[in-house]
Amino acid sequence: MSHEYRARRFEVEALTRVEGEGGLIVEVRDGELADVRLRIFEPPRFFEGFLAGRHFTEPPDITARICGICPVAYQMSACQALEAACGVEVDDDIRTLRHLLYCGEWIESHVLHVHLLHAPDFLGYPSGLAMAVDHRAEVERGLRLKKIGNRIVEVVGGRAVHPVNVKVGGFYSTPSLATMRDLAMELRQALTDAIDVARWVATFDIPDHELPDGTALVALRHPTEYPMLGERLVSSTGLDIGVDEYPDHFAEVQVEHSTALHGSMLAGGDYLVGPLARFALNADHLAPTAAALAAELGLDPGERNPFRSIVVRAIETVHACEVAVAIAEAYAPPARASVPVEPRAAAGCGWSEAPRGLLWHRYEIDDGGRIATARIVPPTSQNQPAIEHDLAHLIGHSMHLDDDELEAVCEQAVRNYDPCISCATHFLDMRIHRS
Amino acid sequence: MTEPPVAIESPLVTVIAVGNPYRRDDAVGAAVLAAVSESLGPDPRVRLVELDGEPVRVVQAWEGSALVWLVDATASDRPPGSLQEVDARQLGEGDSSWSGIGGGHALGLREAIEFAAALDRFPAELRVLGIEGETFDHGEGLSSAVSSAVPAAAARLLASIRPSLESTA
Repeated sequence: MSHEYRARRFEVEALTRVEGEGGLIVEVRDGELADVRLRIFEPPRFFEGFLAGRHFTEPPDITARICGICPVAYQMSACQALEAACGVEVDDDIRTLRHLLYCGEWIESHVLHVHLLHAPDFLGYPSGLAMAVDHRAEVERGLRLKKIGNRIVEVVGGRAVHPVNVKVGGFYSTPSLATMRDLAMELRQALTDAIDVARWVATFDIPDHELPDGTALVALRHPTEYPMLGERLVSSTGLDIGVDEYPDHFAEVQVEHSTALHGSMLAGGDYLVGPLARFALNADHLAPTAAALAAELGLDPGERNPFRSIVVRAIETVHACEVAVAIAEAYAPPARASVPVEPRAAAGCGWSEAPRGLLWHRYEIDDGGRIATARIVPPTSQNQPAIEHDLAHLIGHSMHLDDDELEAVCEQAVRNYDPCISCATHFLDMRIHRS
Repeated sequence: MTEPPVAIESPLVTVIAVGNPYRRDDAVGAAVLAAVSESLGPDPRVRLVELDGEPVRVVQAWEGSALVWLVDATASDRPPGSLQEVDARQLGEGDSSWSGIGGGHALGLREAIEFAAALDRFPAELRVLGIEGETFDHGEGLSSAVSSAVPAAAARLLASIRPSLESTA
């Protein structure tokens, strides 16, 4: 049917079920794809400017407000960057509590995306609400899981949204042994639910598709852990760098159609961060149950089908529950909740794996602890070029679809990346227009 | 070392403020919540929660409560600082007369209310109080019109909450 649509232009006004708002423009001329642009409209980078002049202790609380879905990621990257600037390393048990807190955020974010944003695409519903009517048991199970994610963030972070217990150097206070034992019991049930969710999403009819060959996969790497808090950054193209080297290999560029900066590799080419990249580069470090389940469901590290990212998110949810159980069951209250941190004139970088991928922070502070400059590189802005190229690749293979079908496939493909456009531009709308 | 505070289980009343403190008048819900907290003082029967509007969190935050208030900035053509109150079921049924709820939240209160309806998660009474915002620009601080409306908004909530508390005293 493509010959019937020699000139086509899609503008999807309101791309639904993404975190934020934006637009996607697809232009087809003479039966060939001419252009794909992910449009982002809102004022970018407000928070970077807003942080200048603030005290170095403030970024964990301020940057947590950039995104309601992944505040812990902002807190963890900010804390690590500021601790690096001040020449401080936290105690191992503080780091372990941070790891637990991050598990809570991964569970919350992944479960929300899987159940309310992405599963409706595979099951043929226009929204998560519509799906909930027919798949109530599955949605209720998802709500239980999300609640345990909230609970972890509440127990460790002090409250479930925008945690207030995180500080540069550690925490203001730490959970009691009794509280953590109760949490461990709840987490055991959550692990069972998470396994069931993974088996459920693996039954979905998933389109055949692969990322374009040129798209590199980029994720943190840790010697022993599946990375939430990683040590090195690695890629499918052989990159292996430390946190301070990030600007030597990656850049952000402005493009006319988006107010979010686009990430690029200085060596050339676009790259993808997030679950698919993490899994490809770190599958050997999944917790045992998650690893066995990934094998059972046919996932292997060579997976490059973005539509299967929903299965990877489900596996990562199992992993997060499994790690959280282990941490909670082995918990002993730390000797101290934080290490002392004294400011000095220096710059420091920090990074971590937000649910959607790498989140890099850099702060420059003076000897009084005032922030001179702040730079934040969120995952969605890094992924934008890769999303556009993947859409072009997908559309190029889907010209036989009629307009409605093609538009639906494009929307579903964008949701493969769970774009957090609020993070990328700090509040925005996502749209596709069509004429 | 003290343990981080953890929410009270199943209080009688829950008040949920939705908004972002770095989007000017979007922070009005939190300001109203602070005023209510100051008037009520600590009370284990009342849960005061500040949320970003993500619908599942909103619905889970009111679990166990009989009376729930949602407080949010609105963006319509009403005068800044004006108050608007509605039974949330009307919103869930698509009442178009109540516009502007949710400000800039990607998934907002309307979705939370629809979600609650779909899953039978409504409390006995679920009401929404909207305060019309003037500006949602990046930055801190309420506009003067919206700041001036905070005492009246808090008074409205207290007038609703106190009888419920007295009936269980």
